[in-house]
Amino acid sequence: MRHSVLFFCLALQSISPEGARHMQAGVEAHKQGRVEAAIAEFRKATETDPEFAEAFLDLGEELMQFHDYGAAVAPLKRALELQPDLDAAHLQLGYALLSLGYASEAIPHLERVHALEALGIAQIETGQYQEAVANLGAALVKRPNDPDLLYYLGRASGLLSKRAIDTLVSSHPDSARAHQAMGENYFVLRQMPQAEQEYREAIRQRPEIPGLQLELGLVYAGAAQWDKAEGAFRTEAKRQPGSAEAAYHLGTALLQQGKTHEARAELERAEKLQPDMPETLYSLGKAASLDGDLLLAEKSWTRVIALEKETSLAAQAHFGLASLYRRQGKISEAQREMQEFKRLQSAIEPPRSEPK
Amino acid sequence: MGSQVNRRNFLRFSAMAATAPIFDLKLPRGLDFTLQNSPTPEKYLIETMPGGVALFDYNNDGLLDIFLVNGGHLTRPMQLPEKFDRANPRYWNRLYRQNKDGSFTDVTEAAGLATAGAGNYGMGVAVGDYDNDGFADLFVTSYGKNVLYHNNGDGTFTDVTEKAGVAGGGWSVSAGFFDYDNDGHLDLFVTRYMEWDTKHSKTCGGAWRTYCPPVEFPATTNLLYRNRGDGTFEDVSQKSGIAAKKGRALGVAFADCDDDGFMDIFVANDGMQQYLFHNNGNRTFTECALESGAALSTDGKPLSGMGTVFQDYDNDGKPDILVTVLPREIYALYHNDGAGLFSARSLEAGLGALTAGSSGWGVGLEDFDNDGWKDLLVAQSHVLNNVEAIDHSLHYMEPPLLALNRNGRFEHADSGITIPVAGRGLAFGDLNNDGWMDAVLTVLGGHPLVLMNRGGKRHWLAIKLRGTRSNRDGMGARVRVNRQTRFATTAGSYLSANDKRLHFGLDDSNTATVEVLWPSGTRQTLKDVRANQFLEIREVEQS
Repeated sequence: MRHSVLFFCLALQSISPEGARHMQAGVEAHKQGRVEAAIAEFRKATETDPEFAEAFLDLGEELMQFHDYGAAVAPLKRALELQPDLDAAHLQLGYALLSLGYASEAIPHLERVHALEALGIAQIETGQYQEAVANLGAALVKRPNDPDLLYYLGRASGLLSKRAIDTLVSSHPDSARAHQAMGENYFVLRQMPQAEQEYREAIRQRPEIPGLQLELGLVYAGAAQWDKAEGAFRTEAKRQPGSAEAAYHLGTALLQQGKTHEARAELERAEKLQPDMPETLYSLGKAASLDGDLLLAEKSWTRVIALEKETSLAAQAHFGLASLYRRQGKISEAQREMQEFKRLQSAIEPPRSEPK
Repeated sequence: MGSQVNRRNFLRFSAMAATAPIFDLKLPRGLDFTLQNSPTPEKYLIETMPGGVALFDYNNDGLLDIFLVNGGHLTRPMQLPEKFDRANPRYWNRLYRQNKDGSFTDVTEAAGLATAGAGNYGMGVAVGDYDNDGFADLFVTSYGKNVLYHNNGDGTFTDVTEKAGVAGGGWSVSAGFFDYDNDGHLDLFVTRYMEWDTKHSKTCGGAWRTYCPPVEFPATTNLLYRNRGDGTFEDVSQKSGIAAKKGRALGVAFADCDDDGFMDIFVANDGMQQYLFHNNGNRTFTECALESGAALSTDGKPLSGMGTVFQDYDNDGKPDILVTVLPREIYALYHNDGAGLFSARSLEAGLGALTAGSSGWGVGLEDFDNDGWKDLLVAQSHVLNNVEAIDHSLHYMEPPLLALNRNGRFEHADSGITIPVAGRGLAFGDLNNDGWMDAVLTVLGGHPLVLMNRGGKRHWLAIKLRGTRSNRDGMGARVRVNRQTRFATTAGSYLSANDKRLHFGLDDSNTATVEVLWPSGTRQTLKDVRANQFLEIREVEQS
């Protein structure tokens, strides 16, 4: 497309006939996909008319197409020397420099043409995470769900978060927030004793911070120390009586310990605070079933299935219903639910074929 | 392996135990066995799986003797044909005869048990009097060929595998004798783990180099042998329906779960659903675990089933199922609701808090405090010997779990053993005939732990069955003593065989009512039976 416009421009410019011939031959070769021939023709055009910016731009573009980014830089730079406002050359040079790892040098060119995606990537490389997040976010608006954009935005956000935490830990190493951040790190690494130690210190310093007891409880739960988890979740639930999450986790910790009646009460509270959370409903069904309230169990699991339909949680709810109906002697209902359970199981986790 | 028990340090470990424990950790004189599993960087799966232990009275002197299965020598890499160096005494299975003073004498050679068989890497043991001659016979499982040792009654055993036709092959694990067709002859069930061999071994976990999960290898079939009554067995795996279901079996236990007079089979499978083979009463079985509610976790997830026990934990007279598994799965307890149906009761029974972080192998439901309720003892340890490097919240070595049964709910109790070990096999019996149940636990790379019950003041009754129309030891009989019910079996746990005598705690009762339902269908009731005795009950020979 750019080349057809080019010929219109050529007619208006002082370009030698030989140069024009090479340019035309280059364009033809490009159209036919003969990249090497196009490169040769554009190169001859630049040699014939060394002041003709378009020829350098076309040569650079063709070299970019040939993935020879190193070779593309010089003609693109020359094109910009000859015609500094040539946006296409800025864009290609930005791409070339970024591809070669010269992110800092690429940024001014990409900024000039608002190439947000490439600019965001370059900014990640140069540590400008905040700017990268903004540019990649803006690019994502134009191309939602683009996997590359989502990846880079996630990476930029993560690095931005890490930098903030690093700054926190280095500038306030003994602060409650630093201990909380360290606790989160250890938790992710499944180093539970260290995570517990960090959270305990954070709580000692600033017990009023919301969520600390919840996170400590999750550490205990991760280490299967359910009595301690219950204590931490209970403290959090008391501090944040409106938190459905705290009520849910307290309910599950109680359930793990077989305190079914208490578990049921907490899970009912969580459901009231934040209705229709599938995980809450599933656990509520379990607690109700163990507590002997089969009607509530049936209602909860049926709701899970309505919300989740084809997920593994829905499969679990079908399994729970099958057990419940079996206990009630409702054999056909139990068989139906078991069939659904099996169907979902094989859909979600197809059985591995046995090697011969 | 820094926490192994040996003579030098076992006193220190004993001292670590808290006050008022149930057991004393003993290292009886003469019991010098070391379980040689030969761990290698190749991470051959077999090296993390042995070994079994049997408590049985081989010479009928009234004292329980101990048989321990050894692994074998593994090289890196393994050379074919696999030998495992079993001719080397270091790798022998061992039989220890108990002396009157509680010490043990190694009688392996004299008993003719020194030859474990080249190419056999040892796994487990089953005990049963298959020829009804009054002397307990031994069946030893292996990766390789299994061996049936006939007890000659004179302190020696003879390898009768070839004649009996029970060598099997592949990778056999737990096994058990039971009479599935009620013909008075003990049949044999052998679990097999998977299709695996050293040449097709591999490691998993990338740079961690771990043992691979079972799903990495093809499933295989279990074996059922019918005792013809003439010293030979018929492989009925196919025609009985047992071989119709492939699995990755590690544990097996027997009981009549639906009260139809025929013994059913529960198989603990690793990394998949569990199997319950219902005995159809016509020498065939139907696998029905999923429909019965004993196949998966409470949440419908597969389990890493390893050890299992099939006994009544809540004194309702019906046998329940307990399966030991890996961490974060919770040991599965399936309550027998009657009519062949089960419901998962792990959480209600308190196992969620007790077992969510542990890995269980050998397991038993025995009344350790003689209060009339069966308690839980589990040999524990993770499968992966480098699990701490991968997940800091898990541990390779763990102390055994003791949980006392309080009206059907289990509560953590002090076993007296606080040392973490790589526990595997676990067998139960009253070693010193004091009326209080003891246990022997095998440890990978270490000496066995002998857990001697400290005893107490509560009453007890131990019953030895003498079948006449039924098999001689009454295996499969349902025995009810006051409010407790037991199914007579030596099988269950993991790789191991228990004392055949049935032990009952009587709490403060001085007498008991004993009801026996023999496999033949004969019922016997004994009233006002005096407590604190070893009672032999002979099956009435009615027509």
